[in-house]
Amino acid sequence: MYTPPPMPRRTLLRGALGLGTAAALAACGRDSTTARTSGDVDLALWTHDPGYEAFFRKGIPEADRLADFRYHLTVTRAGPADIVTKLLAQAVAGRGTPDMAGFEIGSFPRMLRGDISERLLHDFTPDIAAVPGLKDDLLPARTAPYRKDGRVYALDSDTPMVVYYYRDDLFTKYGLAKDTPTWEEFAELGARVNKDHNASLCVVSTNGSDTAQIVQSFQMLLYQRGGAFFDADQQLVLDSAEAEEVLGFLCEGLRSGFVIDISDYYGAAMQTALKQGRVIGLPMAIWYKSYGLVPNVPEQKGKWRVRAMPRFAEGGGTTAALGGTGFGVIKDKANTRAATDFLLNTWLTHEGQVRRFIETGYLPTRRSVFEDPQLRGLKDDFCGGQRLFGLYRDLLPDVPPQHTSPDQSILFDVLAGNLLRAYRGDVSPRQALRRTAEEFRDQAGR
Amino acid sequence: MTTAIADPASSARKRTGARRTAPRLKQSRAPYLFIAPFYVLYVLFMLVPVLVSLWLSLTEWVGLGTPRWVGLRNYRLLATDVSFHRALGNTGVFVMIAVFVVVPLALLIAQALNTRGLRVRDLWRTAYFVPIVVSPIIVALIFGLIFDRQFGLLNSVLRALFGTGGVDWLGDPDLAKVSIGLVMLWRWTGYLTVFFLAGLQAVPKELYEAAALDGAGRVRTFTTVTLPALKPVTAFVVVTSFIGAAQIFEEPYLLTGGGPAESTLSVTMFIYRAAFQRQQFGYAAAAAVVLFVLVFGLSQLFNRLLGIGRATS
Repeated sequence: MYTPPPMPRRTLLRGALGLGTAAALAACGRDSTTARTSGDVDLALWTHDPGYEAFFRKGIPEADRLADFRYHLTVTRAGPADIVTKLLAQAVAGRGTPDMAGFEIGSFPRMLRGDISERLLHDFTPDIAAVPGLKDDLLPARTAPYRKDGRVYALDSDTPMVVYYYRDDLFTKYGLAKDTPTWEEFAELGARVNKDHNASLCVVSTNGSDTAQIVQSFQMLLYQRGGAFFDADQQLVLDSAEAEEVLGFLCEGLRSGFVIDISDYYGAAMQTALKQGRVIGLPMAIWYKSYGLVPNVPEQKGKWRVRAMPRFAEGGGTTAALGGTGFGVIKDKANTRAATDFLLNTWLTHEGQVRRFIETGYLPTRRSVFEDPQLRGLKDDFCGGQRLFGLYRDLLPDVPPQHTSPDQSILFDVLAGNLLRAYRGDVSPRQALRRTAEEFRDQAGR
Repeated sequence: MTTAIADPASSARKRTGARRTAPRLKQSRAPYLFIAPFYVLYVLFMLVPVLVSLWLSLTEWVGLGTPRWVGLRNYRLLATDVSFHRALGNTGVFVMIAVFVVVPLALLIAQALNTRGLRVRDLWRTAYFVPIVVSPIIVALIFGLIFDRQFGLLNSVLRALFGTGGVDWLGDPDLAKVSIGLVMLWRWTGYLTVFFLAGLQAVPKELYEAAALDGAGRVRTFTTVTLPALKPVTAFVVVTSFIGAAQIFEEPYLLTGGGPAESTLSVTMFIYRAAFQRQQFGYAAAAAVVLFVLVFGLSQLFNRLLGIGRATS
């Protein structure tokens, strides 16, 4: 019998090194894509908001009950823009992507560029169709921002309608009517208040380092007036009569003092303005109470109230929409099915949406949940015990869709600069919008 | 069948030869093996990225999937892109501030700190050096509060002293550049001062004694002794300041975001914006290549003009 000669030590070492390298390379390879259909699942979630983390963790028992999985959650927190950047980097690397990710609405348009969303994100359209009545119950206004070519790539966390916040005590003290029906009448009141009390009833942001903030001030009133940035086909529709009217209204408000320019909605400048009583009212999204007012002026608890925005005399609705976060699932992964089930069984159930509002303050994205008696009975301590949900339900039909475009960041960059020029009086509203449209078309073509 | 008979002498020669060659080879390989890690890392982390960037600049890529070859299209678009031209102009202004304001000021401060008899000298040196240690995010936050138009510290001081305030430091396109320049001044002057201080302490005292004997005053001593002696340090500081300012990112990104109306947009911010906000990686790579060529070319020019690396007589 032939007996092979003993292997030299060097050959053995070489072999071991080769095997080790192969094993290491294999470990660096793509994630396993064999789909899990039941059992223990460790879901990786990326989000920018600790509120969402708490919500999903609390939702695990319910998700376990409704699906064939036993969920464990590993959460990574990062800035909204970083989530998209890191997700794309991990996708290029072929590993390390999360199972679920929360896309802040301002960052999501990056996912719409080229075929990124098709390649990376699970399409929820068949899942929504599979649940009886869900498609009609989901608010189209809140699926629009995450929709491309008829497919829904994320499910929104909120119906972030815009309302008017005001200091009830100071409105009473200054003798201001709390139910002024139109913006035009309200602006006259505002000019008088500014002259008599050095206070303003509306705010625009001039935060140079945050173009989205500058745009937001204009966006809220533009959408309320019936204008928009993009249509459903992702075409720019900014250069409109409505946009000119709204921008002219804000510019005139700045001259009269009805509007004040603040460098940061959320930071020290706004805090000072609120504490000094320079800002006694402003239109903002419903989440601003939790992220702007409560942290900046907790001592003013009970003094604030919420009402519907005044209407524009020339037309438009009673509210707009601002912000939101869409939760998406990464496709073609072992946990894709499990993550989709988890999202549907926590985020989209009636109970889940009720719990979401109670725990995080984010409004339901299902029409039927707005009829829930539990929500309608809730009182808001910061707003002097107001029952706000009834107001939100009344505003719901007026919430406009927010269509986005992969070129949205280009628009925000050029629009922010031109808005500031118009606010300063360097250009007219008409010129500012024309320039924006021209610069956008020039840059978006690259 | 033939049997080859080995020549024992020849085999012995071969063995001896082998024994002689092997150590020599090993010896000659050794230095290369020692310096190899540097070259491997250099190739991996310098050459490969540079070459990939060059290739990427000739493609259109959204960050995922396969890049599409577009040839020189990105460069053609850059040539007509108003934003890119603005970014180049703004960066030029920041470079001017760095080279013609920050560097001379650092030299003057170093000279002052080097003066004999200066009390609490170490405290001054530390005070000037501290800004470079502070995180840029903290710097931006604090300067944001200082420069705020409505409620900023600077305007409050102006109002208190001169009865006038409300200067839009970050909102006015021209003043925003000045504000960024002020932050650059605050942040980098102390750091550069350290280099000049080291240079000043190396100037032979005999030169000053000779100048004093010749009856030279302070200004004359400074121009005829200090400045020539500091030439190598100055050249180094100027070139590094130029390269640093040409790649400025943190100050405008955190303080003004490139605004208002792109008035503080730097080339590196333009690159970042194209890549990570607009998913135009090919376009960003082309801008990066242009920046690289400009910085490399001008650095070489400075090197030649200032005589860096040349032996001094």
